[in-house]
Parts: sequence; C-alpha cells; structure tokens
Amino acid sequence: MKHLTKMTVGAVALAGLSATSAVAQETVVWWDFLAGGDGVRMQQLIEDFNAAHEGEIVIDATTLEWGVPFYTKVQTSVAVGEAPDIMTYHASRIPLAVDQNLLSEITPEDFEAMGLSQDDYAAATWDAVTVDGAQYAVPLDTHPIVLYYNKDLLEAAGRLNEDGTPMGMDSLEGFNETLQALKDNGVAYPLGSVTADGNFMFRTIYSLMGQQDGELMTDGEFLAGDNAEKLTNALTVLANWTNDGLQSTYTDYPATVALFTSGEAAMMINGVWEVPTMVDAYEQGNLFEWGAVELPVIFDHPSTYADSHVFAIPNGNDMSPEKRAAVLEVMSWISQNSLFWATAGHIPAYGPVTQSEDYAAMEPNATYSSLTENMIFDPKTPLAGVAGPIFDVMSTYFVPTLNGEMDPAEAVEEIKYELNDL
Amino acid sequence: MIRDARKEWGIALLLIAPFLAIYGLVFIYPTIDMFLLSFTDAPLIGEGDYVGTENYTRLVDDRRFGTAFWNTAYFVALSVVPGTAVALFIALAVSRLSGRFQALILAMFFLPYILPVSVIYLIWDWTMNFQFGIAMHVYDLLGIERIPVFKTTTWFIPAVAFITIWWTCGFNILLFLAGLRAIPTEIYEAASLDNAGRWRTFSRVTWPLLWPITALNLTIQLILQLKIFDQVYLFSQGGRPNDNLVMVYYIFQRAFQSNQGGRAAAVAVVLFGIVIIVSVLNFQIMRLAGRKQ
Repeated sequence: MKHLTKMTVGAVALAGLSATSAVAQETVVWWDFLAGGDGVRMQQLIEDFNAAHEGEIVIDATTLEWGVPFYTKVQTSVAVGEAPDIMTYHASRIPLAVDQNLLSEITPEDFEAMGLSQDDYAAATWDAVTVDGAQYAVPLDTHPIVLYYNKDLLEAAGRLNEDGTPMGMDSLEGFNETLQALKDNGVAYPLGSVTADGNFMFRTIYSLMGQQDGELMTDGEFLAGDNAEKLTNALTVLANWTNDGLQSTYTDYPATVALFTSGEAAMMINGVWEVPTMVDAYEQGNLFEWGAVELPVIFDHPSTYADSHVFAIPNGNDMSPEKRAAVLEVMSWISQNSLFWATAGHIPAYGPVTQSEDYAAMEPNATYSSLTENMIFDPKTPLAGVAGPIFDVMSTYFVPTLNGEMDPAEAVEEIKYELNDL
Repeated sequence: MIRDARKEWGIALLLIAPFLAIYGLVFIYPTIDMFLLSFTDAPLIGEGDYVGTENYTRLVDDRRFGTAFWNTAYFVALSVVPGTAVALFIALAVSRLSGRFQALILAMFFLPYILPVSVIYLIWDWTMNFQFGIAMHVYDLLGIERIPVFKTTTWFIPAVAFITIWWTCGFNILLFLAGLRAIPTEIYEAASLDNAGRWRTFSRVTWPLLWPITALNLTIQLILQLKIFDQVYLFSQGGRPNDNLVMVYYIFQRAFQSNQGGRAAAVAVVLFGIVIIVSVLNFQIMRLAGRKQ
C-alpha cells in the first residue's frame, strides 16, 4: 500500500515535471493536526515551500484530527512502519512519545545541517523539546494564553491606561479593582472564563502556580511540599471571582468566545490562536477596539503557561540520507519563514523571526510576545500534555471548584490523591 | 439412499471453514490474547513482562475503577428497563394508528436513531448550553434555576440515559411493533366478546404474547448499555471526565491515554465477565418469568 501510494505520488509528481528534468524529486509525507485558522495558514506555507523547491522536494500533506486520535494514529503507524516522514507534535507530549520510542532524535549534526541552533530559541522552548539531553523535535512556535480585553468597556469603566492597556495588571488587588469597576459599570461578565472546561482552565491555573514558583511535579511526586498550597491559592483566586460574580460560570469554549466578541464579557483569558478570529472580525467591522496582553501578575512575578507546536520525525522508517536531508530542509525552511505563521496568533519559536522589524510591526502579537521570557511548560512526564491523564484529573476537580460547588482546599486534596495514583 | 457420513462431515467442514477461520482470527484469537495481555505490564503496542495478577488485585483499591463500575450500573438501571418501557408504550400507541399517519408518526420516532452519535452530542450539547441553550430559556420561563446539566455529577448520568433512550428507542419500537402485529386479531376479538376491558386485554393477552419480544429487547439493551462509551465520552469533554467514568471509558483511558495495555486488558476482562454473568442471569430470569405467565 505504501509503495503504491508512493508510486502514485511519484507518478503524479513526475507527470508534472516531465518536461523539466529527470532529477529525483523527494516526496516528504507530512501529517499535521492543524485545522481551522492555523490549518489554512500552514497550507499556505506548504504551498510556498513547494513552489520554492520545485523539482527538488514536494510535501504531501494530510491533516488529521487533533488530540488522542492523532497521537494514537502516530503510535500505530510507527508500529507497522507506515509513519509519515514528518509530523507536527505538541512539546508537552514529547516525554510520552520518547517513552514509547516514537520519535527519532534530532542530532546536533541535523541542527547544523538545518542552520538552526539552540541560541535561536528561548531557553524554556529548547528545554521543552529536550529529553535526557537529546532533542527530539524542532520547535515551530509557542502558543501561550493571553488576556484579551475590550478597550471600549474598559475605557467606559475608567480602567484603561493611556497606552491602551488595562489598569491593575500588576497585582491581585489591582486586577480585582478593574473587574469590580467593570461590574459596577454594568458589564455582565467582567471576565469571560472557560469555566465549563477544566482542561482549558489548567492553562490559567498552572500559570498562576508558576507565578508563585509552584511546580506540579518534583522528583516524580505530584504537588509535594508547599506546591499543594500554591495550587490552592491559585484555585482560590479563581473561585473568588466566581463567588463575587466577576466571571462567567459553566461557560464552555465557544460560549466564552461568543460572550467576549458580543461585548457581554469585557475580558477573556484564551489562547493566542483566537487572535485571527479577532483580527478578521475587526477588519469586517464586527468588533470593538480590542487588545491582548500578557496575563496579569496575580502573585509574585509574571508567568504564563505555554505549549509548543513542533516538528518531529517518527521512528522506524528506513529513511535514505537524501530523504532525511529533504525533511530537515522542510523544518528549516518553514522555521525561517514562520513570520507568516505568526498571523495565526502563535509566537514563532525561531528567535530571528520574532526579533525582526516585520514582527515588531504586528499587533497585538508584538505586545504579548514579551511573555516568552516568562513561559512555563508542562512538567516532563509521560502523564502530561494535551489530552493526557493529568488534564483529566485536573478537569474533574477544576470544574466544580471554579463554579462554587467545591472548596479549593478539598479539590487540591483530591487532585493530589488522584495524580499520585496515576 | 446410502449416505456417506464421513464425506458429509468433510463437506460441512469445508463449507464452514472460511467462517471458522475468520471467526478464529478476529474474535477467538484476540480474546485469548486479551486474557494473556491482562497478566502483563504491556504498553498499548508491544510486548510486556509477566506481572501475575497484579493488574487485577490493584483494581480493588482503584478509585477510578470503582467510579466506572458504579456509574455503569447506574446507567444500566436508568436506561434498560425505562428505555424498554418507553418503547413499549410508544409502540402500543403507534399500533392504534393506521395507514400513512402511522408511518409518519413512526418515522418521527425513528428519526433520531439514524443520526450518528456525534450529531446527537452536538444537538444536545447546544440545547443544554448554560448560556445560550434553548432548554435554558425554557427553564427561565418556568422560573427554574438554570442547571449546567453535563457539568454536575447529579445530572450527568440521568441526562445521558435520557438522551440515549431518546436516541435509540426507535429501534425497540420497531421490534415491539413487529411483535404486536404477530399477535392474531382473533384473540383480541375473543377477548372483546368476553367483555374484557382495555387493561385486562393488555395484561392477559398483549403482555404475555409479547413477552418473548420484551425479553429480547431487555437483553439487547442490557448488553448494549453495559458497553456504553461514546455518549459518556463526548459529553464529558472538558467537563468532569473522572467523575463520569464508565467501564469502557476507563479501558480507553488506561489503554490510549496512559499507554497501559496490560491494565486496560484487565479491566476489559472484568467487563467481559460482568457482561457474561449478567446476560446469563438475565436470560434465566426471563425464562422463569416467561414460564410463570
């Protein structure tokens, strides 16, 4: 089957070039999980790549469903030797993938061949693709969460700075004051929160733990020492916003976006991937004046949870040196041309792109990209990552806590028990 | 005619060989393999080391297994008998209609059954959406406080059971209708000549004669609902998955999320045992109940 596919692709490719040359063209089989707005942009990048490498390399891309289905498919395809040549992956899932022996190491020689090096990446991002000192992926971007805000509503409540950013971003008291002012000014939900989705809230809560230097996992144990207390602190802040009527309750993801874009919620904590939604709506005249900034400092210092989209090479394929060189070229070229990828909201991982003048002119991206210095990633365990078991445990207790059904301290007790029971 | 028994055996074997081969390959062999797997610490794919009965003994103190077990039992209790009763009631009502009108009504009850589970999920998820759901506006009209149905443990299993009945009862209605049509009209005529009232006709004629169909319905439902997964998984997304666990969901978590094929197989074997025991019990009870009538 694989040979058949290859032959078909080869034949099609050859038919396309028949007149030009007899030079062997490498077909790189590509899998990604990028649907929606990201997907369209990646499609564009792939087309640009193919155009720039006509007659040399062609990417044969397939988009698959995100989450457990994708990761399971990768696992089975590696087991039977039908894996793609290159695939997108989440940095948070790398520890599990390495544990399952799914990923081929990207050696220092590979990085040299790609013209990329450790210095091009933020320390936290580089660390996220590293397991036991070896790299298993090439980071494409980081996609943290940010605070979206409605400038019109903040201004009406008298909580907008002259530079167009919200007031009270440096302390819990300050931020509470902003929320209260919005409430007093008649805003239904000062903060739109995805309170019906504990998976999603993990990002916010983990960020707030990071602001107190809290860690989820130390020496293989979950929430040891005062880390449990730090999680309780983080949950208490959010639970209080619910109790004081400052945030939307039992709101799922689409409803949260709808509350914000319809002006019922004045602020929203969400992933940078919603930036294109806002940009497009604003351009069509369907959105108020808006902005996005790094999360408020509720505790000691700024900290934001992030994950990374990365490129990885699956194990188990007998790859010719020419093929591997082609795959490396794909990763290198797309990394270096990832400025366009930034329009999807993500922060390109490749430093020279975010340091460029073109990027500095992109708003609100340039404003929030400062947070790359304060990023924290998932703990390095096979249990972590999107769609992983840690997410399920957290979600189960976050939902009742954030909606006033369960006491934060009680929730943390339960979470600690279940995490250590995994 | 002299028959060569041995030759007939040979032909019979030859004829069923393709079936036996496929059955053995895709059913018997994987089942045996699952039993063997449950005594190892194998990941989802690949070999593991023998660990004895550890995968089973740890289930005793496993909180998620306990949740899954009781939720499954609760779901079965809320869906099997009520679902069959609802289907019987609708079938009785529909059977009183006739002609095109009957076909139309029947089609309306059958319609949800042809929808895939993902569509069912989307319809009900939006209907029950806490901010924008239509159902919530009904709550507001009636002056009841809004309930985040799929986010509370109190309402989750009952709601999923209700939706499952709404979704699947079309098929059971069809079975009951077929059963009702098979009852000869002469018996009803005789009953009415004897001045039997409606209730008496139902309890002395319809119910006993329909019993084999009812028993069949209950058995199909029981086995199906013990294996509940799709709806629970979909409605739990982002909510409180570990509070909503059912047996197959827990198998899925162990196998596909935690990459623990051995432990997942152990849970699967337990479910396998439960399904067999419950089905045999169910069959015996049905037989006894049928004999009594």
